[in-house]
Amino acid sequence: MKLNLTLNGTPRSADVPERTLLADLLRDTFGMTGTHVGCDTTQCGCCTVHVDGQAVKSCTMLAVQADGCTVTTIEGLGADGLHPVQQAFSQCHGLQCGFCTPGMVMATVDLLRRNPKPTPEDIAEGLSGNLCRCTGYVNIIRAVQQASQVMQGDKP
Amino acid sequence: MNAPLSSALLRKEDQRLITGTGQFSADAHPVGLLHGHVIRSPHAHARIARIDLSAVRSAAGVHLVLTAQDVQAAGFADLPNAVQVKDPQGQPQAVCTMPVLAHDKVLYVGQPVAWVVADTALQAQDAAELAHIDYDTLDAVVTYADATAPGAVQLHAQAPGNTSVKFEAGDRAAVDAAFAQAHYVSDIDVDSQRLVGSPMEPRAVWAWHDEAKGITHVHTPTQGVGGMAGFLAHITRWPHESVEVHTHDVGGSFGLRGTAYSEHLMVLLSTRQLKRPVGWVGSRSEVFVSDWHGRALRLHGHIALDAQGRILAMRFENQVDVGAYNVYFSTHIGARNLSITMGGAYQVPALHMSSHIYFTNTVPVSAYRGAGRPDIAYAIDRLIDHAAQQHGLDGVAIRRKNFIAPHAFPYTTANQTVYDSGHFEAVMDHAIGMSEPQGLAQRRADALQRGCLLGRGLAYYLEASGPGGAAKDQVRGSFDAQGVLTLRALTGASGQGHETSFAQIVQNEIGLSASAVRYLAGEPEQGLVGNSTGGSRTLYGAGSAIKNLCQQLMDQAKPAIAALWACDTANISHAKGEWQEMSGAKRRLRFADWIASLGAQAAQVQAVGEATSGATFPNGCHIAEVEINIASGVAEVSHYWAVDDVGLVISPEQVLGQVHGGVVQGMGQAFGEHVIYDRETGQLLTGSYMDYPMPRAGGLLRHFHHETHAVHTDLNLLGAKGVGESGCSGSLPALANAVSDALRQVGAPPMDMPFTPAKLWAAIQAAPGKP
Repeated sequence: MKLNLTLNGTPRSADVPERTLLADLLRDTFGMTGTHVGCDTTQCGCCTVHVDGQAVKSCTMLAVQADGCTVTTIEGLGADGLHPVQQAFSQCHGLQCGFCTPGMVMATVDLLRRNPKPTPEDIAEGLSGNLCRCTGYVNIIRAVQQASQVMQGDKP
Repeated sequence: MNAPLSSALLRKEDQRLITGTGQFSADAHPVGLLHGHVIRSPHAHARIARIDLSAVRSAAGVHLVLTAQDVQAAGFADLPNAVQVKDPQGQPQAVCTMPVLAHDKVLYVGQPVAWVVADTALQAQDAAELAHIDYDTLDAVVTYADATAPGAVQLHAQAPGNTSVKFEAGDRAAVDAAFAQAHYVSDIDVDSQRLVGSPMEPRAVWAWHDEAKGITHVHTPTQGVGGMAGFLAHITRWPHESVEVHTHDVGGSFGLRGTAYSEHLMVLLSTRQLKRPVGWVGSRSEVFVSDWHGRALRLHGHIALDAQGRILAMRFENQVDVGAYNVYFSTHIGARNLSITMGGAYQVPALHMSSHIYFTNTVPVSAYRGAGRPDIAYAIDRLIDHAAQQHGLDGVAIRRKNFIAPHAFPYTTANQTVYDSGHFEAVMDHAIGMSEPQGLAQRRADALQRGCLLGRGLAYYLEASGPGGAAKDQVRGSFDAQGVLTLRALTGASGQGHETSFAQIVQNEIGLSASAVRYLAGEPEQGLVGNSTGGSRTLYGAGSAIKNLCQQLMDQAKPAIAALWACDTANISHAKGEWQEMSGAKRRLRFADWIASLGAQAAQVQAVGEATSGATFPNGCHIAEVEINIASGVAEVSHYWAVDDVGLVISPEQVLGQVHGGVVQGMGQAFGEHVIYDRETGQLLTGSYMDYPMPRAGGLLRHFHHETHAVHTDLNLLGAKGVGESGCSGSLPALANAVSDALRQVGAPPMDMPFTPAKLWAAIQAAPGKP
């Protein structure tokens, strides 16, 4: 089935079987392998991307459902250098192995769009659909707080 | 304190990982890649009556179908068992190794039976559904009681009673004598339940065969390419030099990525037969039933004390569930790792343990973060806490009285392990001092106001880091024409940040900017000896080799510096990467400046550093406060204080990150994680993240306070002790002691992990002192 979308600012088209998942389209057809697949039950959030500006778990959306949409993956996030959320994850040591990180970052960007000054409880709830096995989440929550401050114009 | 890395990012690894440009094994899409799919057993225990794969073979896109017969024809060995032990009568352990593909029987749900290769992953999956395999099902046993009951169904003909071995360590007679004269005795059952390790990257492998050179190149997550290559060569029986393993980024490991699995072997065999690249990427559902499981240990501990509260003896009777087969490290865990530190940080004159290593119809068990050491640390400090409570003694005072004293090192335990250093009382006092003990009564009262029972638990753990299987650790260092130092070794990272820590060691030793140092571990590195990452040993193992390398680089440069200054080499010395002329002009020159001055000649500067480093003894004191909501049974960790003696710290941020991660993995085990099999059918009931409660971002370490307390070690050149497994070793007993303390306030007895809301609520409801 044919589909057209805007991926990281570039119009793209593909012809894929109907059952193709968006995550697989991004990874296998378009080579955007920063979108990771960590589970098959929509629990881990490693595959989180933005579809029309909203965070979506791309393993749970058919590729054809993204027809006509604007999709942003981790590769397209910091077009002009690193996004403050990416920087904060590194500076606060919010990643170790880095496998969950693209999904965490994409979920965080959407969380801060909806709630620019989240409390630690808001962050925990907002990221409860993203699993990390390395960090214990402590520094992830710090990273989101730092990114929030930077994006509000405060110094971290 | 080390100088920070000169970058806006904390770690050298981070740039690629935060931008999605890392290279995980499933990210490669080589031209012509074919996709494998495993046909797995749907039954826990069955005879394979008939296999008909004709429809699979003729399905669209299918290139190859393999069964046990093909594995046999290829001459592959079974997956190996790392160590074999004997029982006290000298009878060797019954070792039942796992076949790459099942032949006549299947012994657990998910066991690989056949393998399909097709053009696409979907075609391979579709084809697999056309398999006709007739199974004659047998009874399944998934618990100790069922597996060892008289008349229980037998998994292996050579293992009567489903027993691999009844191993013993220590001095039974001495322990019996000590118990006979004890003033106080106590015992407690401690369960360290079966877990899935669950690194976030599902296991993956792809390979291609270079016909011209006769080398199969394997790309897969590992803890070190040398270890994986060794296992693959052993199982395939191919010449060692014909298998090269490449590892790029690894999405977590925790012990699970160090060994070869059936899928690796299937990919290797397929790529050689088809002369095409072949890959496999596990789904999470598959890795739940195929990554080796962890823990699965039940320890029954006994303690004997004299009238003054001095420990006379400890005894542990252990039930060690290895799953369906002996794979890799399960015996090592149940025999060695439970025994080497079974006195913990305490002076215990007599020790004895028995481990009944037995089979069940479940996924085989191997190493998971700590591999038996957190489990015994948990049991020791639960036992001491329980004894103190039972006999009205002060738990802190008992620990203080029984710690191995600082002047007693080197200290040889009753099990003949030699600890080199430690100052346990000082570390405990450090932790207690941090932990706001004076506010406890108020916090308990405040918690009760909120409808919560507040329990406080203290634990002192000591663990032995990995001695390493390789004789030494080597690191090759070579400069390029731009003066960048490339380090190559065999220990591979899966989140620990080797690239950053190693660069920091170089920076500390010879003043070379960390940005001018890179580390490569994922390339097949013929000619170097070294250990994989595991047992918390990489920092001091490979790190010591890097320190030696730096020394060699300085020595190597000395004649050149002398020539530059036209002076005798005896007249120059160096410290911290800077040479100094001792008399005369007293000139100075930094190593970094000298390398830069060489230009293209820098490429001639190289050396192989090496070090021999055995086990170390990281230890520490963790204190937890847990609030249990009386109405719901939900437990939350309200405060957590930890002081760890991990020796020298190179990267404080990464040490803290390791502690966070380890403590939260301990919290996962304490409050939720539990692999559950149906007792009748042997079906896995917790086969996805919907059923298996992984720790999530909410309600975790809200008030976490951590400090290090380094006690010097001479056991390695660097002076580090390792930190990777400290967090889970300290958190299991601290959290369990806290929960027991909370339950005791209402008169409820101790319970097994996981402390789920349902169990806690029911215990509080049934307690005599229910509020």
